[in-house]
Amino acid sequence: MEQTIQLSISGLQKTYKSGEGVRDINLEIRKGELISLLGPSGCGKTTVLRTIGGFLSPDSGEVRIENQSILHLPPEKRPTAMVFQSYNLWPHMTVYENLAFGLKLRKTSRSEIRQKVEQVLKLVRLPGMEKKYPSQLSGGQQQRVAVARALLLEPKVLLLDEPFSALDAKLRMEMREELREIQAAGNLTMVFVTHDQEEALSISDRIVVMNSGRIEQVASPQDIYDQPNTLFVAQFIGRMNFLRGQAVGDRINVQSFGFHNEKGLRGEVTVAVRPEDIVMLHDESAGMGGTIRQVMVLGHYAEISIETPAGLTKVFLPREEARSLSTGSAVRIGITRVTAYSQSS
Amino acid sequence: MNLDKAGALRMKTSTAKSGLSRQTKDSITGLLMVFPSFLLLVFIVILPISLAVRESLLDPNGALSLANYKYLFTDKAMKNNIIFTLNLTVVSTVITLILGYILAIYLRFSKGRISEWIRKLYFIPMFIPAVIATYGIINMYGNHGWLARIVLALGGDSFPRFIYDYNGLLLANLWFNIPFTAMLLSSALAGIPNSLIESARDVGAGKLNLFTKFIVPMTYKTVLVAATFSFMGIIGSFTAPFLIGPNAPQVLGIAMQQSFSIYHDVGIASAMAVFMFLLCSAMGYFYIRSMVKEEPAGR
Repeated sequence: MEQTIQLSISGLQKTYKSGEGVRDINLEIRKGELISLLGPSGCGKTTVLRTIGGFLSPDSGEVRIENQSILHLPPEKRPTAMVFQSYNLWPHMTVYENLAFGLKLRKTSRSEIRQKVEQVLKLVRLPGMEKKYPSQLSGGQQQRVAVARALLLEPKVLLLDEPFSALDAKLRMEMREELREIQAAGNLTMVFVTHDQEEALSISDRIVVMNSGRIEQVASPQDIYDQPNTLFVAQFIGRMNFLRGQAVGDRINVQSFGFHNEKGLRGEVTVAVRPEDIVMLHDESAGMGGTIRQVMVLGHYAEISIETPAGLTKVFLPREEARSLSTGSAVRIGITRVTAYSQSS
Repeated sequence: MNLDKAGALRMKTSTAKSGLSRQTKDSITGLLMVFPSFLLLVFIVILPISLAVRESLLDPNGALSLANYKYLFTDKAMKNNIIFTLNLTVVSTVITLILGYILAIYLRFSKGRISEWIRKLYFIPMFIPAVIATYGIINMYGNHGWLARIVLALGGDSFPRFIYDYNGLLLANLWFNIPFTAMLLSSALAGIPNSLIESARDVGAGKLNLFTKFIVPMTYKTVLVAATFSFMGIIGSFTAPFLIGPNAPQVLGIAMQQSFSIYHDVGIASAMAVFMFLLCSAMGYFYIRSMVKEEPAGR
């Protein structure tokens, strides 16, 4: 994999009058990488994106693209392009005019513009839509055109600010796949802001999880899911059970279970377990006992809530296996994998 | 289902009783409700206009003639009045639009303390009656007004004649019309989402392009509305010209009043009124036509 750093952010800080903002943002994004900024609303992800795009100026820090500082440039001079949250096509221009505008400003020849617009419309699967006005397009089509408009500028970094959040779930999935295809085909560098963890997990090369203005963790979707660095990431990404445990020496004890204390924690700890890492045991003496609180069938699988001495846990089971379980019955469970966090964090 | 049946049944019985279908009844109610405003329109607008048109077409002996109009367009003083009025109206409207647009754009895009204050204060002139405002202008700019006194106190020996002239009327027109124009345009500009402007900048539009290719096309309809309102208000203005206008040439409103109440020449006054009405109708026609002509998108 190519290791050129396309975009680097260092020591970025921006504080608003309200006291909110971002601090200590350090991030390096490689060429051809799709990075997601993920976090709850108000975590500062959009602030970071808008700072890269030039719509906000930071209090301190540096943003470089291809090792050139871009902070002194206004948005119109930056080698970035942005796809905004709401449909952002200019209502008084046709699709063709919307797409051609940026190229015209760059003094591209008329025939070249025509050719490029045709090409990019094919790329976003809207060939022949040149003459339509934005209001004649559906939401998905509008957002495709918005992506096309940004792509036409051949930006060094493409910024996307929750571009699909206004679309319905099915369309969102389609757009995600399409975007990923376009990104891979053009080896484009993208920064994608979202609050939807599923979206981030599905399209990103790496995810930057943010919380109250800070970066919590930067890792591949796989690592974020398997080894959340902090309790916040563990809570935010995927489904997770949290059990009470004690760290003693190099062991972490949860009732009768003992796990390796990798982080060298002490005292009371919170132990995070993915539902898929909990197994039902049929041996009466093994594992931990519990009582079934609820069985919810969710399509091809069932979600079982079990009350245990260490806390409430959720377990996913194939529907067939869940059929024999009923509320109130006693079961025994085993845990295959855990991550532990000190309770103060 | 049951309810529907019950409703249909009820309707049947009521129809049978009155002998009228529900539709007929509805349309009668509708006509009754429109009637008062129709009467008002007839007696306050249509009838007076027809009377004025008729009056303007009669000579002093009561015979049909175009003499009044001939006088209006050939008499030297009258011709000057018309030219003066049109000139003043067009110039005032254009300057009003330019200054109002600049003010509205400043208020839309500036976030400072000053703009905050201007935002709070700029529409005050709309709430000051024209008479009071005009006397205010006299007090400020008159030959012995505040400005003249300040100039004198600072050692100047004369103050240029400002009111009782074209300039004074222009000033008054601007004072009366800029706030409303700025208000209309401000609301149009507020309707442009920030993200549209940001996306335009993102693809490389500088300030000039942003203005000509985005802000103007997205607000030109409101500009037209503002232009129409300013034009109508200025061409028909009376208070300010009456108090601070020049004696000759005169604004049409004043000339009309003089023909009517001083010279008792109803025919000439009516001809002037009809002429002004036609000017305003032409403006109204262009206004309505451009409002109806939606862009193909029909947003």
